Amino acid sequence: MKIFAILLLCAGAASATEIKLPDETAAYKQSTLPGYQLVLANCLLCHSAQYAQMQPPASPRSYWEATVKKMKKPFGAQFSDDDIPAMVDYLAKVYGAEKPKP
Amino acid sequence: MNSSIPRREFLKQAGMAGVATALGSPALATLAAAADGRSVTLPFENGERELVAFPQKRPMIVLTSRPPQLETPFSVFGEGVLTPNDAFFVRYHWSAIPTAIDPQSYRLKIGGHVTAPLELSLAELKQLADPVEIVAVNQCSGNSRAHFAPRANGGQLSNGAMGNARWTGVPLKKVLERVGVKAGAVQVAFNGLDTPPAGDGPDFVKSLNIDHALDGEVMLAWQMNGEDLPMLNGYPLRLVVPGYYGTYWIKHLSDITVLDKPFDGFWVATAYRIADNACACVAPGTTPAKTVPIGRFNVRSFITSHQDGARLKAGKPVLVKGIAFDGGYGISEVAFSADGGKSWQAATLGKDLGKYSFREWSASFKPGKGEHALMVRAVNRIGQSQPATPLWNAAGYMRNVVETTRVIAA
Repeated sequence: MKIFAILLLCAGAASATEIKLPDETAAYKQSTLPGYQLVLANCLLCHSAQYAQMQPPASPRSYWEATVKKMKKPFGAQFSDDDIPAMVDYLAKVYGAEKPKP
Repeated sequence: MNSSIPRREFLKQAGMAGVATALGSPALATLAAAADGRSVTLPFENGERELVAFPQKRPMIVLTSRPPQLETPFSVFGEGVLTPNDAFFVRYHWSAIPTAIDPQSYRLKIGGHVTAPLELSLAELKQLADPVEIVAVNQCSGNSRAHFAPRANGGQLSNGAMGNARWTGVPLKKVLERVGVKAGAVQVAFNGLDTPPAGDGPDFVKSLNIDHALDGEVMLAWQMNGEDLPMLNGYPLRLVVPGYYGTYWIKHLSDITVLDKPFDGFWVATAYRIADNACACVAPGTTPAKTVPIGRFNVRSFITSHQDGARLKAGKPVLVKGIAFDGGYGISEVAFSADGGKSWQAATLGKDLGKYSFREWSASFKPGKGEHALMVRAVNRIGQSQPATPLWNAAGYMRNVVETTRVIAA
């Protein structure tokens, strides 16, 4: 198993604890929907893709809309209001209740 | 970003129909046990998770990788009453987290409505008072959220966002006495080194009422289970708030501020709030009229010796073991049922490690051939217990229904 921890434990005065986090493995699902590129640019800046991926598949469009808006205010994400409808559309159709049934 | 995604997507779709019909049925068993060493399928829809070893951790269930949010594989709770540091759950809110800390230059600042504001090095803090130890459970407010029905959005956790450790540190009271709390102080706010990654998002700051902060039990801890805190559990110092949900247990603690008016930050005034009623619950799909900050744990109990789908030998006595805990009154009795709650027997309680600890219990039964729904229900010293049917709230907090573990004897 890969060990990611780098522990610098010295007996003397200089000691620091440092870790190296593993590479991310989750990715937003590719899509031709215009929101896909916006989600890559706006969401991944702050968090990994599992935040959307793990939500209950029945999550309605209203949930995704409220969540995208929450990311901007109060959470401080720096994307334009103009990006919101397409991002919500992608999330509702790829991870939410509007996902096509297999 | 790597090739495992298509496989996971495939699994998700292939598994969906089965999961939907399996919920609450015996077929659930096979799902709960499905793990191939690199992934695990938790027993709810969309429950596929990777298992990854983060620094100072064994492979754990990855809820999110950035920030790291890791759930303890449930089998760990059967290994012992203390949760090993390398399997203790991890929960962050913001992704700008410290990954390198020099304990020599680290400082804790204590200020606000005090007589003598202070900056302490870690070495100075450790000398400030005699160290104390307490065994206490830390549990995420949203532990078990993914088992809510109807589902609740948020971190989709199974039952592994909890852990029990022996914490070593100094009482917060000693630190506050040192700086001199001024008359009129009402709350104390706590901040850590983790910050929002961008923009003007609200820093993760929490507060406690002044009486609580001075109760002598709230602690600044630098060790868990006899070792330095793992980085992801708050190295070099975290707040320990026995009996209270993990949201208050600020990691990488850097600032303590005594306040002369109630803290109004987002993470107390808006987030982590529960219905202001005895059950902290509402009718599914509704919102409460009035809310208060989340507080103490309710009563919970689990079977840890057997997981769903376990195979037993018919006619041979079986010892079933588990854990129970509450918000700090202490567990007084645990009842066990081997017939889906039709009849109950008193379980034998294990060693008492203190009122904030997991309390081990055991009970035996002789299974006949077939399936058995094993259930456990605990009561604390003030008579609080667990509901037979789940309580609901939109945030997915405080689940504590009587748990059922289905086993098969042949």
